[in-house]
Amino acid sequence: MDKLVAQYSRPSHQNDFYTEEEQHDMTGSLPPLSLKFALPPVANPSAFLRAMTDDHSNPSCPIKLAHGTTTLAFRFQGGIIVCTDSRATAGNWIASQTVKKVIPVSRLSRGEDKPSNDPTPGLLGTMAGGAADCQYWLRYLSQQCTLHEIRHKRRITVAAASKILANLTYAYKGYGLSMGTMLAGVTPQEGPALYYIDSDGTRLPGNLFCVGSGQTFAYGVLDANYRYDLSEKEALDLGRRAILAAMHRDAYSGGFINCYHVTEAGWVHHGFDDMNPIFWKTKLESGEFSNVTSEL
Amino acid sequence: MAVLLGITGKDFVIVAASKAIMRGPTIIKAQDDKTRQLNRHTMMAFSGEAGDTVQFAEFIQANVQLYSMRNDSELSPSAVANFVRGELASSLRSRSPYTVNLLLGGMDPHTQQPHLYWIDYLASLARVPYAAHGYAQYYCLSLLDKHHNPDIDLAQGMKLLEMCTDELKRRLPIDYKGVLVKIITKDGVKEVDFDNDKIVRSA
Amino acid sequence: MSGYDRALSVFSPDGHVFQVEYAMEAVKRGTCAVGVKGKNIVVLGCEKRSALKLQDTRITPSKIANVDEHVCLAFAGLNADARILIDKARLEAQSHRLTVEDPVTIEYITKYIAGVQQRYTQSGGVRPFGISTLVVGFDKNDSTPRLYQTEPSGIYSAWKANAIGRSSKTVREFLERNHQDDMDREQTIQLTIKSLLEVVQTGAKNIEVAIMTPGNRVEMLPDDQIEAYVKSIETEKQEEAAKKKTSRTGAATAAILTRPGGGETAE
Repeated sequence: MDKLVAQYSRPSHQNDFYTEEEQHDMTGSLPPLSLKFALPPVANPSAFLRAMTDDHSNPSCPIKLAHGTTTLAFRFQGGIIVCTDSRATAGNWIASQTVKKVIPVSRLSRGEDKPSNDPTPGLLGTMAGGAADCQYWLRYLSQQCTLHEIRHKRRITVAAASKILANLTYAYKGYGLSMGTMLAGVTPQEGPALYYIDSDGTRLPGNLFCVGSGQTFAYGVLDANYRYDLSEKEALDLGRRAILAAMHRDAYSGGFINCYHVTEAGWVHHGFDDMNPIFWKTKLESGEFSNVTSEL
Repeated sequence: MAVLLGITGKDFVIVAASKAIMRGPTIIKAQDDKTRQLNRHTMMAFSGEAGDTVQFAEFIQANVQLYSMRNDSELSPSAVANFVRGELASSLRSRSPYTVNLLLGGMDPHTQQPHLYWIDYLASLARVPYAAHGYAQYYCLSLLDKHHNPDIDLAQGMKLLEMCTDELKRRLPIDYKGVLVKIITKDGVKEVDFDNDKIVRSA
Repeated sequence: MSGYDRALSVFSPDGHVFQVEYAMEAVKRGTCAVGVKGKNIVVLGCEKRSALKLQDTRITPSKIANVDEHVCLAFAGLNADARILIDKARLEAQSHRLTVEDPVTIEYITKYIAGVQQRYTQSGGVRPFGISTLVVGFDKNDSTPRLYQTEPSGIYSAWKANAIGRSSKTVREFLERNHQDDMDREQTIQLTIKSLLEVVQTGAKNIEVAIMTPGNRVEMLPDDQIEAYVKSIETEKQEEAAKKKTSRTGAATAAILTRPGGGETAE
């Protein structure tokens, strides 16, 4: 009998049980970065990627990443407005005019936009930079947020969610990720919260951000008329107008104006509208864009 | 480029950091706080590579606080400074070094002496009576060389800081959106009001 | 015993893991610790082991430890084991701040501590932690007091008031009889000390008390204040006893005694 027991009471290193580290990995609250990617078999993967994809210095590079965007988000008294254009470009080629650059980040709202007007609970993320990078990592973030929700029995704060993403982009700094993301959400703990996260590893809380190749044009309109006490309608209109300005001036932005409003109950979609009629309506009814002539 | 300034006096340390964060042609934030409090009477201001700065500062902050928690006593400013230097030195020799420049200010809780350390990303550490990082060095150090002495009181220290920021407004070709000013005294770290709206005329 | 208590990760035929049960026995031999929730306050009370003559009581480590600025922990059981566990909890608390910015919630850190304890009941070559803990504090931006208990087996549970360690049963029964919801600061401290006095014979000098309030760091109640509480409780008791004596002549009193009859302190 003793012999049998002795067999089970050997020191741990003889057991094929898990080591303490392995167990910690399994029980730790956040899974470690288990997403291991195959890297190209070259000395410096990030330099290789840059050489293959950087179309500024090398117009004939073999891989053209989808780039170029205008996205904006700002806080105001009624919550947060998130607006984007919908164009994806690969070099000088317009790859798509109907990209959804606002990505819901939550368990309940992943997938297609719902047709109803009820708020959908959860956070919103925006997409600027590499389309694949943004989609992939926001999906990953969505997983993490859902896990957090299950483990902690409450919704994740925007601060925590943004930090998960920022730590992630920081861990992959120098590997050639390209993202400029805003995370917007309203939680009972923090109220309306807006964070900017990019592939440098930067993470900033703020009131107002514009990201993408058209950011300067959007800032120009937005900064001039932004107030915290805008009404919901004023805020939505201002967001749309700022995106329109960028779509008009920035060759890499265009297509449809996509608009969202985030409140504590969740986010509400406010249209995915073709810029063209809106542009002409704005010009003809408000007398703006006077440099564009409507006569032959 | 960020502006970091530090001035010590008889019983205080002033640390000032510019509020703007720039990315390409845009100031993406104009009210940033480039400082972290490490324990009751030490703090750090940082500038450098995007991402690295905050990651490094918060890493240091967590470790200093963990030390306080574990040992029921707080690290002195010189201990923190040497710890930071050590971390930067080993990071420098790693595959991805932190590119962070720091000013570390604190009051020694036992001797009540003000401490200010100048630390750069190459892990140089120097205890100094006044310090600056970035382009601010070129303007402010000469000015402080002339006007600073270690026995000044807080009001004189703030006056000196104003001389520095005035000069920066006059000659620096970028708008750094004013500075956030924190002072460290025997009572701890606190933020103080600073008039960033003053208009300075060039000669 | 047939040897099923020798290896940790082995069940006995009737489903016991003896090492874990022995660990719980070690807890019962540890000095008593009490946690009581009031309205906007949570109080920890500990029985201090009586010091030897030459011991320096000022710098002997306390049974109450900070895990983070807003989390406090008291334990009963093996002091040396507690040190290790507390250190792991502190590391996790800072690591949590670093990775998600927010400080840990009390439930989270309790779950973490219980998780570590559980791991040590299932891994080879280790022995379980011989401690139970009471974890108290307030979540960020929240004024709801929290009180959790963890055990060597890795179980954790939430309480309004609870006791662990030596004679914990007596103290828990006392708390069950005397705890009310929404007690104010005075009442909560008073109940904590009163419940400890059920089992601590030597009075104020062997008691330590920690107080947590929303948004504040832990506050250790100074010795002279503990002394004052103990004194007032004792005089109150004497008065009550005197009253009882005088009313003894009447019909049998149905009053619930605040203290169970003597001779029940040993478990």
